[in-house]
Amino acid sequence: MEGHAAPRSMAAHRTASVVAALLGSLFLLFLVAPIGRLVVGGGKSGVGELFTDTELRSSLWLTAVTATFAAAVGALGGTPLAYVLARRPFRGKAVAAAILDLPLLIPHPVAGIALLLILGRESVVGRTLLQAGIRVAGSPIGIVCAMVFVSAPLYISAAREAFARVDPRYESVARTLGDPAWRAFRRVTLPLSARGLIAAAVVMWARAVSEFGAIVILTYNPKVVSVLSYDRFTGFGLTEALPVAAVLSILALIPLVALRALRPDRGAGTDV
Amino acid sequence: MVYTAASVAIPIRAALDTFAAREHVTVQQENGGSLDIARKLTELHQIPDVVVLADYDVFPKLLMPNQTTWYAEFARNRMVLAFTDKSKFASEVDSANWPKILQRPGVALGRANPDLDPNGYRTLLTLQLAEEYYEQPGLYDKLMKLSPAKNVRPKEADLVGVLQAGEFDYIWSYESLAQATKLRYITLPAAIDLGTPADTATYAKASVKVAGKTPKDTLTIKGQPIVYALSIPKAAPHPGMAEKFVAFLLSPEGRSLLHATKLDALDTPVIIGSGAPAAVQAAVSAQ
Repeated sequence: MEGHAAPRSMAAHRTASVVAALLGSLFLLFLVAPIGRLVVGGGKSGVGELFTDTELRSSLWLTAVTATFAAAVGALGGTPLAYVLARRPFRGKAVAAAILDLPLLIPHPVAGIALLLILGRESVVGRTLLQAGIRVAGSPIGIVCAMVFVSAPLYISAAREAFARVDPRYESVARTLGDPAWRAFRRVTLPLSARGLIAAAVVMWARAVSEFGAIVILTYNPKVVSVLSYDRFTGFGLTEALPVAAVLSILALIPLVALRALRPDRGAGTDV
Repeated sequence: MVYTAASVAIPIRAALDTFAAREHVTVQQENGGSLDIARKLTELHQIPDVVVLADYDVFPKLLMPNQTTWYAEFARNRMVLAFTDKSKFASEVDSANWPKILQRPGVALGRANPDLDPNGYRTLLTLQLAEEYYEQPGLYDKLMKLSPAKNVRPKEADLVGVLQAGEFDYIWSYESLAQATKLRYITLPAAIDLGTPADTATYAKASVKVAGKTPKDTLTIKGQPIVYALSIPKAAPHPGMAEKFVAFLLSPEGRSLLHATKLDALDTPVIIGSGAPAAVQAAVSAQ
């Protein structure tokens, strides 16, 4: 009996590998094929339009700048939150974490209306800002606000995981060696989690680039690429929308690849 | 199967429900923009039993003669200026003083994108007609300055939420939409509201340029009354039932159902083209 067991489990192992490879390939195809179709269908004319279509160029530029701002704001505000959620036990933590996930499940036009109620010209905040000459709705600031709102939860939960993977004992050691809490964080925890934090920021950035529903309520003009591609699609149909979408896919690859290739904590990461 | 322009989806649904209960048939309704619906027929070859469009002009431009040879104008809509209780000067504004009220400082006026949405270009047409009607040269430019790019949203339905959130004081809208969303609104003079088929000649004096087939082309659009029209495609899968439904919709009973759901049904529907089924012609000539 034992003599049979080994080849049988080998066979089972092989079958499992084949099934896994098949499933994996199918899934990869599912994810890549639509984008491949976009690039094949509109890539050439899209790249051509980069030189002739000033609206497309300024819209890509606006998207890059606002999404980068949004990711920076998310990293600045989200990192301390993520750290507290990863490290400090407190009452109601599960509730706090769940509330931070809420912006992900609110339909985006609703998120846009909610932001408008808080930041619009009739709100206390919006009125005060307007008096200071800062307009949220109808300006790039509105775009950044919408992007931060819908994408920051992704940063926070990924950053929290990155912190959780760093052994708290390293911090304790640094602190017993005399580092104050902030310096222990900066010298130990931050470098060890840097790669995870960058990955979190990349995901947030990418999500911000794709946002449409909340942005179009707050700031339709000037148009980010998602709004422009919607406009081109509803106004002129597929032939005009494809190049915009293709160019976005091609250009977005550059920062994504560059940032993913960064490995500041080579050897220390658990997520190699 | 009935394809319905989204802006008349609710009234047509009400009529369909009554009809379905009476005839013991099941009905399906799909809603979309008038142009989207036309493309479904012409490009995707999905043929419904009845097509109801918010813009009668789509029939001659896209669907005749291949899909159908006739259409019946059966209801109308008109441009209004919608607002809420919170809007600035809401207690003062009326059908006569609105151009002045809108020009007061601090008033935010929203409009739809004329390149995407008929309501957007109809707003421009109404403002042009207003300049003529009120004999105030420069009124169009003044009112356009009040709704710059940042006050534009893609479609008229998108404006409603932004108005209700207080970001706009007034929006250009359709009477049907203002009623459906329970907004306050003022009606405009018939000569400028694009809602009176008798004023067709006046409306035609106004024209605007909007984006054409590509973002670089332009297309000139002349003022026309906002009239809803319907037809039965040649290849309708259930032509008999379709004729029965259209005859019902155009009957006094059907019209009163439409009125009850806030669609301004025409007292005398008009058939354009030839080849309309006898049952439909009989329903129209019975008025």
